[in-house]
Amino acid sequence: MKTIGIIANPASGKDIRRLVSHATVVDNNEKINIVKRIILASQGTGVENIYIMPDTFLIGHKAIEDLKLSKELKIPVDILSMKIQGNLNDTIRAAELLEELEVGVIVVLGGDGTLRAVAKGNSNIPVIGISTGTNNVYPRMIEGTVAGMAASAIATNMCDKYNSCIRDKRIEIYKGSKLLDIALVDCVISKQTYVGSRAIWNEEDIVKVIVSNAHPAAIGFSTIVGVRKIISDKDDFGACVNLNVGDKYYLAPIAAGTMKTIKLDEPTIHKVDERFDLEFDFNGIMALDGEREIPFKIGESYGFKITRNGPIRVNIRKTIESAQEIGFFACK
Amino acid sequence: MELNNTKIIEMYKTMKRIREFETNASKLFAEGQIHGFVHLYIGEEAVATGVCANLREDDYITSTHRGHGHIIAKGGDVKYMMAELYGRQTGYCKGKGGSMHIADATKGIIGANGIVGAGQNIATGAGLSAKLRGTDQVCACFFGDGSTNQGTFHESLNLASIWRLPVVFVCENNLYGISMHQSRHQAIQDIADRAVAYNIPGVVVDGNDVFAVYEAANEAIERARNGQGPSLIECKTYRHHGHFEGDPAKYKPAEEVAEWMSKDPLPRLVNYMLDNNILSKEELNEIDRQINDEIKEAIKFAEESPWPPIESVVEDIYTDIVEEVEK
Repeated sequence: MKTIGIIANPASGKDIRRLVSHATVVDNNEKINIVKRIILASQGTGVENIYIMPDTFLIGHKAIEDLKLSKELKIPVDILSMKIQGNLNDTIRAAELLEELEVGVIVVLGGDGTLRAVAKGNSNIPVIGISTGTNNVYPRMIEGTVAGMAASAIATNMCDKYNSCIRDKRIEIYKGSKLLDIALVDCVISKQTYVGSRAIWNEEDIVKVIVSNAHPAAIGFSTIVGVRKIISDKDDFGACVNLNVGDKYYLAPIAAGTMKTIKLDEPTIHKVDERFDLEFDFNGIMALDGEREIPFKIGESYGFKITRNGPIRVNIRKTIESAQEIGFFACK
Repeated sequence: MELNNTKIIEMYKTMKRIREFETNASKLFAEGQIHGFVHLYIGEEAVATGVCANLREDDYITSTHRGHGHIIAKGGDVKYMMAELYGRQTGYCKGKGGSMHIADATKGIIGANGIVGAGQNIATGAGLSAKLRGTDQVCACFFGDGSTNQGTFHESLNLASIWRLPVVFVCENNLYGISMHQSRHQAIQDIADRAVAYNIPGVVVDGNDVFAVYEAANEAIERARNGQGPSLIECKTYRHHGHFEGDPAKYKPAEEVAEWMSKDPLPRLVNYMLDNNILSKEELNEIDRQINDEIKEAIKFAEESPWPPIESVVEDIYTDIVEEVEK
């Protein structure tokens, strides 16, 4: 069975960064439209069944209802059977279920935080991220139709998967020997002590940034490393940098429209699978892919490791080009 | 933006004061001491507290039918509030307004309001006033999810946006308009989505986390004060009681109630303070005891206050044609 899964986060695109970084609200009705375009593009190119995560706004149900009303729905689309909690756990659970169902690919609508949750629930199914968040590094701003075509090409094996997908890095955070959590792109160590509005935007409180990838064009906290050293998805290393150390200042685009002058130390390179430990001399919090998640206390110690255990990411352009060469678009 | 311990303790006191006031109001209503409609704010304390902790005394707020929390958070005196609930002459409205009409212009509290959505226009007017007078005052406008279907909401956001007025629109989305679940009266889940239509920032925050509310309000208020115009903050929250006292709220599923009770904003803040050694258990108990005494004193003050004299019926009204009443 040629199947795909869709996870659409109803909460993405609405956090405090609309107030602090000129970001715009992404309304949920547009997410329904994107889901409809994914379904239409993939059903027309060979996908036989689609599964969608249930959510509090009923994105999947509304997409199905609309396509039935317009008589455009041609294949079965099922809502996953799971209890909705209305938080990040829904995305993790849906990713687990989609992995159990062995779908060919998971298309995710959300931001870096949503993709991180998907990566916590699934590590073997390729993932396509569509940005409906704020300043995202991981998911891309792409049209749903394009995502649907790429998803179909992967699910129907009508592309060169080896060259179209890459196993990404991730940052693993340990307490002792126990894996506590993960980040896909960046782990920010801040002197703030509470979760509050979750998103992190104030660079003044940031002490350290750990990254798996870094590029000045990847708006967000990983640019703090990126403005000094570019680390690509192919590099088998990540890095850690201290802020407010040394005597060199750099401009970094830490949020949409937000260029900050930051005093930066030389980034330290950390090879894949090499663990390093940090003991904190202050109370603070770790923000994972932009969201405050792990509060810590003075004197506590945590381990960090860059690994190749991240999600399998679909390179959309390469996938579609490969599909085109194989004859994916040829009518039978 | 790190909050200092003094500010955190101050916010706790406000939340606790609201909870104590409302818990006692519920009890007194059940005992027949308080008459008329009473809509309680229990469960939503973090919203009023997190917003008002960022306001100056000369800033304004407009409130709703569920207004006790807003008024306490903006510095309203619980003695005069309780006296008003009791209908006594010493109350904020001289005992003639009751729960839904409390105002204190000296504190910038320009009124609770029994009409759903009416505060939005008043807040927009306050914002226009501040702008025309050239002050840097801000108005925080509290309202519920149900009111965002009223024309007043759309008219206010439109005018506030086009005139860049210093108004922070704070939606307390407690999931129900009286007894109707939001999903039955709106084709959206996040009221913040409506900000897009008026070209203003719209943000969703956990309304049961006082820090989340504080942070969003801090940014929105600074923005308004700097002349950058209005914002819409949607606080996801939940009222623990029915729409009004006496409403058994049978329309709320037990599972939903249990889930939201587990997110009660007060224990969340208490746990944070104890966990981070902001104060000890003993110090916390002492604060609780002081607030308990404060509310007891307010009740005593109300009970010992006189009823309004019959002549006051024709005072503070907009006309002096009262021949029928005089007869």
